[in-house]
Amino acid sequence: MIEISGLTFDYPGHRALNDVTLTVAGGSVTALVGPNGAGKTTLMRCIAGLETPLTGHITVGGTDVIEQPRDVHRIMGYLSDFFGLYQDLTVAQCLEYAAAAQGLPDDEMHDAIRLTAERLDLSDRLHQTSGSLSRGLRQRVAIGQAIIHHPKVLLLDEPASGLDPEARASLAALFRQLQADGMTLLVSSHILAELDEYSTHMLALRDGRILENRELKPAHSPDTHRRLHLDLAHPDARLPVWLGAYAQVTLKAVTETRAEFDFHGDLSAQAALLKAMIHEGFSVSSLAPHKENLQQSYLRSVAAHLESAQ
Amino acid sequence: MSNPEFKRNLWLSFSKHRLIGMPALLALTFLAVALADHENQVADSLYIASISLFIFVVWLWGARNANATIVDELRDKTWDQQRMSALDPWTMTWGKLFGSTSFNWYGGLMCLIVIASSGFSAGKPDVIAILLTLCAAGVLVHAALIALNLHTSQFDSRIIQRGGMGWLVIIFVFMFMYIPTLAFKDLKSVSWWGMEIDNALFWLDSALLFAACATFAAWRVVSNALQVRTRPWAWPAFACILALYFAGFLPATGRMQPLSMIGLFVSVTLTYVALFTEPSTLLRWRKLRLLQARNDRRGWLEHLPLWPTTLALSFLFAFLFVLTSLNMHTEYSRADLIQPPQAITIALMLLRDACILLFFAFAPDSKRAVGATMLYLVVLNLLLPFLAGVAGLDWLRYFFLPVDEAYNPWSGILVMAIHSAIAIALVNWRLRNAGES
Repeated sequence: MIEISGLTFDYPGHRALNDVTLTVAGGSVTALVGPNGAGKTTLMRCIAGLETPLTGHITVGGTDVIEQPRDVHRIMGYLSDFFGLYQDLTVAQCLEYAAAAQGLPDDEMHDAIRLTAERLDLSDRLHQTSGSLSRGLRQRVAIGQAIIHHPKVLLLDEPASGLDPEARASLAALFRQLQADGMTLLVSSHILAELDEYSTHMLALRDGRILENRELKPAHSPDTHRRLHLDLAHPDARLPVWLGAYAQVTLKAVTETRAEFDFHGDLSAQAALLKAMIHEGFSVSSLAPHKENLQQSYLRSVAAHLESAQ
Repeated sequence: MSNPEFKRNLWLSFSKHRLIGMPALLALTFLAVALADHENQVADSLYIASISLFIFVVWLWGARNANATIVDELRDKTWDQQRMSALDPWTMTWGKLFGSTSFNWYGGLMCLIVIASSGFSAGKPDVIAILLTLCAAGVLVHAALIALNLHTSQFDSRIIQRGGMGWLVIIFVFMFMYIPTLAFKDLKSVSWWGMEIDNALFWLDSALLFAACATFAAWRVVSNALQVRTRPWAWPAFACILALYFAGFLPATGRMQPLSMIGLFVSVTLTYVALFTEPSTLLRWRKLRLLQARNDRRGWLEHLPLWPTTLALSFLFAFLFVLTSLNMHTEYSRADLIQPPQAITIALMLLRDACILLFFAFAPDSKRAVGATMLYLVVLNLLLPFLAGVAGLDWLRYFFLPVDEAYNPWSGILVMAIHSAIAIALVNWRLRNAGES
């Protein structure tokens, strides 16, 4: 859905993006992560056609962003980090303005406002002025403005900043719902745990360069290669040797009570391993896929980057 | 035609209270003016009061609202949403231009009705022309503020934080009110390009011309803000329009010479305006170099700042001035505003000053490039010549400011060419240090 090649963007005295090349798959939710100053916001603004890069190409849905930014805006929604709302307009007027400004026909306007308000749980706030809303509700109105024209791509820069846990949870549910509707989302946030809930891909940036851009595998992946975590109820000195000798296991870390290892086999093979261990008398209390959360994944990318840089 | 931007502005501008309040307040003011009249000249009093009220409501108050339409968007961080909309630049422009000032035009319309009725009753001349001139001047002020605020916002966000360029309106109002009413008060007609044009009609035409220019400028600047790229022909075209307009007031004989001289002064002025209000950064230069290397002529023109266009035009007018002067007379008179060779000296001086700005703008810490340039220009053009003059070093004074009748005017070109060459060398040195050449 989003194709970027050789993107370089400079600020005075500072290169914000350095020869960035990436692809964002259609229908994915990509977590854009990185430290402050990594280039996340600049990357989003370039994709949104709000900034012109020094070099490089960006296409969204096959349309060149630099050549035809106005065409791209029709299929895109963008929520800026520091968004603003028209304080004196009601929520309904904010949504109507956004819909009309995105070229939604008059006869679809009413339904679009109603559906968007329902989706964001704003139906009972439609006649309140946006200036009188709480931070969380204002965030929802801003997201409503960004999605009211059913964009194919939605860019969200720190959408959950300043929200309480309940509002964050409902935001995560909304993003999952938008993804289920076929929308492609690119979401940046410092709160990696929150992105973990709905992201399908991770794009890590650091110093304007891509550290990693990959799919985050689900916990119960049917793949034949995954990392497993084993816990024993009672220590057993045989565990390192027995497990190390098992054909489909590559040990990563092991003690007398726990082990972390790569397992090369499908779910049936995993069941066979468990059966064999119980048969051998190991007091297995847990054997589960080792799910690397986004935070761990990101930190691993950073560590690998720092290692390769040395 | 439905314009969401216009509609949004109507939502913000009108309320039941304001809808009733404006006509009520105006009606009470007119009633007070009528009751205060003791000389049986009610129509005259109302005519003057309604024109004054129109100027206050539409020109001044409207200017404040037109100023705020951009300033508020940028300050309240809603501008990105507007830039991401699918509205075309013209829809956005007229939506802002007439939407933000709709409440003022609502009051202005009532004033216009009183101007027309009282003007006709009192037997005032040119009532329709005055009505239209007032309206055109209102559009001119509003459109110019939208264009100026958007243009300067890309250069220095502090201007927006300080409230935009609204203060310029005060200058404009004085210019537009007092030049026609005081300077040309007793003139029945204006002689322009050999035509005798009725005074009121001339000011109407002038107001319409400049209102159209300002609206066009607003549309161009909005286009750029919405990432619709444009080529830089409008700025030099505006310089030509201004030159043609002002040259029309000169005597009919030998028009090409004064036209080229006025063209030179206008181009120089517009070059300085663009130079000091546009972002001239190393990044922009880098982008231009890349586009040039790619042979992307269209992209190069789209990213070119405005000032080089009028700088080139200044040289064109300077050479035209020299050529037309050579054909006209061989000896220069002290009465001449400038001697022909000095036209080229002025154009070279402009080139030098542009290079001085670039020298500071391309520095690693370029935040105060404009301030530093202005300071050095004052030192170079005023302080050093003054000190050299006081010290009796006339040759040195001439080297700093080569406009002295004691010297051959052609030598001034050589002196300023040396200045320019040094300035160009400094810019090249800066670029080399930045790894750009």
